[in-house]
Amino acid sequence: MPLRIYEGDGGTPGDCAYASDARGASSQSFSSARRGMTRRSFLRRAAGATGGLAAVAGALSPLLDIDDMKSFSLEKFLQKHYKEMSPDDMKRALDRIANDVKQRYDVRPHLRDIKPMDGVEFVYALNLSRCIGCRRCVHACVAENNQSRDPEIQYIRVIEMPRGTTDIEQGDHHYDRPTVPDEQHYYLPVQCHQCDNPPCVKVCPVEATWKEPDGIVVIDYDWCIGCRYCEAACPYWARRFNFTTPSIPKNKINPDMAYLSNRPRPKGVMEKCHFCLQRTRQGRMPACLEVCPTGARKFGNVLNPKSEVSQILKTKRIFVLKEELGTLPRFFYYFDERDPIAMQTPLPTPPSMPSKHVGGGA
Amino acid sequence: MRAASDNSNATPPRAGLAQIAGYLIGPAFLAFAVYLFMSSRHVDLPSAPTPVVTPAQITIAPPRTALGDPPIVTIGGYAQRCNACHKLFKTRDHPDRPRVQHLNITLRHGLNNRCLNCHDRENRERLTLRNGDTVIFPEVAMLCAQCHGPVYRDWTRGAHGKTMGAWSPEVGQQRKLICTECHDPHSPAYPPYVPLPGPHTLRLGSHSAHDVHEEIRRSRNALLHWSSERAASTAPATGDKTNPAHKPKERR
Repeated sequence: MPLRIYEGDGGTPGDCAYASDARGASSQSFSSARRGMTRRSFLRRAAGATGGLAAVAGALSPLLDIDDMKSFSLEKFLQKHYKEMSPDDMKRALDRIANDVKQRYDVRPHLRDIKPMDGVEFVYALNLSRCIGCRRCVHACVAENNQSRDPEIQYIRVIEMPRGTTDIEQGDHHYDRPTVPDEQHYYLPVQCHQCDNPPCVKVCPVEATWKEPDGIVVIDYDWCIGCRYCEAACPYWARRFNFTTPSIPKNKINPDMAYLSNRPRPKGVMEKCHFCLQRTRQGRMPACLEVCPTGARKFGNVLNPKSEVSQILKTKRIFVLKEELGTLPRFFYYFDERDPIAMQTPLPTPPSMPSKHVGGGA
Repeated sequence: MRAASDNSNATPPRAGLAQIAGYLIGPAFLAFAVYLFMSSRHVDLPSAPTPVVTPAQITIAPPRTALGDPPIVTIGGYAQRCNACHKLFKTRDHPDRPRVQHLNITLRHGLNNRCLNCHDRENRERLTLRNGDTVIFPEVAMLCAQCHGPVYRDWTRGAHGKTMGAWSPEVGQQRKLICTECHDPHSPAYPPYVPLPGPHTLRLGSHSAHDVHEEIRRSRNALLHWSSERAASTAPATGDKTNPAHKPKERR
């Protein structure tokens, strides 16, 4: 009684006629017609298949908008890990990246792979008594390291801290005053601390980030899979993720680039401060130090006992952030004996006790 | 197959309902998807245009230009050496006498409020030390060190001051800034600086910068604050809760 299906379905007379024809055939052919394609089931399945295909195509359509697809090459896909690249591999990778940069920004970059120097371990020191929180370092870093302007990515975060505490929870990095410094606050710039025991390196599942012999923790942007584990692991909020393709105006590109540092990053990878290794591995100071108007920032080779940072570590009161975590940062904060900002304007006197002579009349 | 047909034949009404329901599942999901799509509201997240930082704002030039040797100053529109005048006019050591020259100088150096404490009486192109020796202007650190001993000690070690160029003399040219390249010797305290824009995250619409700071200070969570403000503004008959200038950017 297969006809019941069509009755229950409220079938059209055409369907009924077709089914009646089928019933008239031999039982063999009847069952094959029942199991096989009717016009109705064909239409239904065709509509379902078309809808499904459309849904799949719609779901995949964002892939067409991926900028990286335009510059996709088998060479990039097959590129080896930084540590496994031969000099020829590196040369080919640098050529490919330089061509990409030329295509995107109309600038022929001076791109190279700079190796660490022998007998050099970098250390940063920052004088909290002198920092006035002007954020020059933040923006010099952005300009030097080809960071995305929109959305903004900044490696350095200057935290305005209430005097008398080192509890970062009480700090505010959104401060926006007409002028700085504010007498009741001090300023704590935080960037990658290049830890000697880096949690971010431990959690990376693909070894896209590692510590170099000169102390700098670097990232191979072509190896990073963008899982953001390192961002979660970093206790100093030092790592940034490229949620979109970084947008940098063509006239703002810094053509002095290195493979492991400030070459333009693709979408979906992590980045962070690398002590300006395109500068410092060639003897120059980091950009944040050069721009600092108060000279609060100090940089150098800790293995040289005569260097400024060695002298500071030996003679000043220094501390590191979150020492209890055992990350062994290479970024040290220090104080002077006397604090010029606090001396300049005395703290407001606490509200005086109500005087008997005011309003009392007694 | 036949057995299945017989089974369904045994309970005709229920099987019919099940089939109708089966046919309706697809359209029902489709309708639900359409409903979700149509009913989703576009949320306007508070944001403001990215502020532009000019290269002039992040110049690496020292804060000041120190006087060299010989010192050249601009007096009356003419650049001239100190001794061009001071050889002609006799020096009168009378501190309370009102100044008639160098009126652009404000002397705000604490107790050190006499010109000739630092400037040499005989040769105005040199500076005088407490022991009677004189030094040229680029060697001003020797003069400052007489009072600012700990700072001078830190400066020689590198903990104070600023070194430009290479991070070590072995790897390149170094230049250590002298005292007067950062500090105005007549009023050595640093002037207040205008801070450059902070991180862009959660910058609230077109509120003035100061308001944002106060709001964040109050709520400690800008997004929470914004959402509560938004709830208040969408609630009916609550008057002028919203800032009329607040026009959040349309999310793409």
